[in-house]
Amino acid sequence: MPAILTLSTILIPWLGAVVVWALGEKRQHLAGPAAVVFSGLAGLAALLLYPAASAESVIDLPMGDAFGNLTLRPDGLACLLVAIATVIGCLAVIFSLDYMRGEHQLTRYYAFILLFIGAMTGLVLSGSLLYLFFFWEITALSSYALISFNNDDPKAVRGGIKALIMTQVGGAGLLAGALALYAATGSFQIDLVLAAPAAIPGGVLAFAAFGFLVAAAAKSAQFPFQTWLPDAMEAPTPISALIHAATMVNAGVYLLARFYPAFADVPGWKTAVIVVGVVTAISAALMAIVAGDLKRVLAYSTVSQLGYMVYAIGLGAQTAVQFHLLSHAIFKALLFLSAGAVIHSVGTRDLERMGGLGKKMPFIRAAFVVGALALAGIPILNGFWSKELILEAGLEYGPAWGYWLMLIGAGLTALYSLRVTWLVFYGMPRTELHIHPAGKAMKTSLLVLTVGSFTSWLLVAVVTKISHLTLPYHKVDEISIGTLVKEILANPGTITALLTILGGAAIWVIFMRFQNLPKFLRWTIRPIQSSFGMEAINTGITRVVGFTAEKLRKTQTGLLSWNLVYIVIALILTIVLLGVGA
Amino acid sequence: MTIEPRLVITMAVICLVGIGIYGLLVTRNLIKVIVALQILVKGAILALVLAAKYQGQIQLGQSMALTLIVADTIVAVVGLALGLQVRRRIGSLDLRDLTKLKG
Repeated sequence: MPAILTLSTILIPWLGAVVVWALGEKRQHLAGPAAVVFSGLAGLAALLLYPAASAESVIDLPMGDAFGNLTLRPDGLACLLVAIATVIGCLAVIFSLDYMRGEHQLTRYYAFILLFIGAMTGLVLSGSLLYLFFFWEITALSSYALISFNNDDPKAVRGGIKALIMTQVGGAGLLAGALALYAATGSFQIDLVLAAPAAIPGGVLAFAAFGFLVAAAAKSAQFPFQTWLPDAMEAPTPISALIHAATMVNAGVYLLARFYPAFADVPGWKTAVIVVGVVTAISAALMAIVAGDLKRVLAYSTVSQLGYMVYAIGLGAQTAVQFHLLSHAIFKALLFLSAGAVIHSVGTRDLERMGGLGKKMPFIRAAFVVGALALAGIPILNGFWSKELILEAGLEYGPAWGYWLMLIGAGLTALYSLRVTWLVFYGMPRTELHIHPAGKAMKTSLLVLTVGSFTSWLLVAVVTKISHLTLPYHKVDEISIGTLVKEILANPGTITALLTILGGAAIWVIFMRFQNLPKFLRWTIRPIQSSFGMEAINTGITRVVGFTAEKLRKTQTGLLSWNLVYIVIALILTIVLLGVGA
Repeated sequence: MTIEPRLVITMAVICLVGIGIYGLLVTRNLIKVIVALQILVKGAILALVLAAKYQGQIQLGQSMALTLIVADTIVAVVGLALGLQVRRRIGSLDLRDLTKLKG
């Protein structure tokens, strides 16, 4: 039975993608409902699969000698991400029913969402590095296709291509690491690496460890690759909620979490992971404070929260990572979807043009406020518990500078959450906006996620128990709800964290009084707005590549004689090299 | 001194391939290019048979050579047909007029 469920979480969405695609332009009004059915079935299968998760019920599908077997391993970590991907995927599809009403080419939209959901579940279930890489690239492809969904908008196309190229750097890192491990072990099986990392030569293991770190940083938009995620916000908002907040960007975190037992002893690796996490979390939080576009604020906050997870992996706090991953997926999807409802209603993403919308859309305001409070880490919402677990681990195992910087990061998080909520829903309306009411499908999705933000932390006992039982190499502790509450409330760090969060909120309240930043602080904004020069580096790289390509173009004459000259030169060189070699 | 058949064939291969490459390098006429290509491929086929003889698998080499001769004929025919079309559309057989992929 678990075997059927495991397979169906991949195959149902993919079957759905084919069916939806086949509906064609004339029956595209059926595409949405069909996608809801297929993603709903996949979500149901994932929820049934989760309690049955085990490391033993492995499925081995022979795929020929060249590639090895496709192994699917439904263990605790994999099943958690499968459940997140399919259930939030289903909610995003339901939300899209209202959000995408009246758009064209809906079959393409829904087909790519379903393709993505299937690939994402395959990515986390795969027990073989080679197939993990294949699924990894399919998610990148569907992410690109959905960012550039409005393909007559040059900004959307540019954002999609940027995301594709930058995540390819990560794909190259993953492939290089996987091939190095294959050369050392003779197999793509992940379990072999996790079981006996000491059997692999140290240099190879270190190469793979840092290759995977590059892969994770590019996929999860960590420093120095974080710039693609804000530009990916040109995608339709349900896509941002699903792919660029709740699921695909978690793939990098997943990769690091999965391989942590193997790489933990590589010298310098843990420190590198902690540094990447801290730098990302702080810099992205600062950028979220000054961003002027509703979705970009949320994108930066996603980057920042993923930084928290990467930091927790560097500490070895597997429990905290999985827990925060779950919480973040729920509250960030909630924030994005309610932001989507706002954008759909008023037709702009510019924070300067909003304000005072709360009175006109009380339901969406309530949902957004719950999400923002969870993001800021206010008890008793799910974000509070998981963030406290990470900070607690930082206090206990990590370097002191990391803990203090992450604490400041928590304050900054509260500051930007309050700012964005205030600018959208409270205060005086800054411009006259015509408001469409939100539809029923939108409200259904938001309601489910709001309830989830309140209650998902109660699942801690289930999640940690299943992970404890099914992940033999990861050493996940079993925590019951009672221990969690007791441990966090008794910890002195919690008071410090809550005070910092209140401090961050207080800064916004003080700032509101002055209406504008005091003069002596204004120079600080410019470097933050230009993303600390990362954007300039990107532009520089594309310029250099373009310039070199233009110069090299002269060697391509298109004349047969010249092409033959190159062939003859290459032939002579080969013969000479062979002669020297012999 | 006796003349080894293998030596003769090796020389023939080198001559044929050399003539073919030389022809491809210097000519700008599409028909001459196809002729040069044919000479080059004949040299390659001969080299294949020779290599098979050295390896002691002469049957394999000969059957491969027969297959190649058939394929090569098709290449020649298609190439000449393309040349005819080029001549009709562009009005010249000069390779320098054919460097652009787009009209």
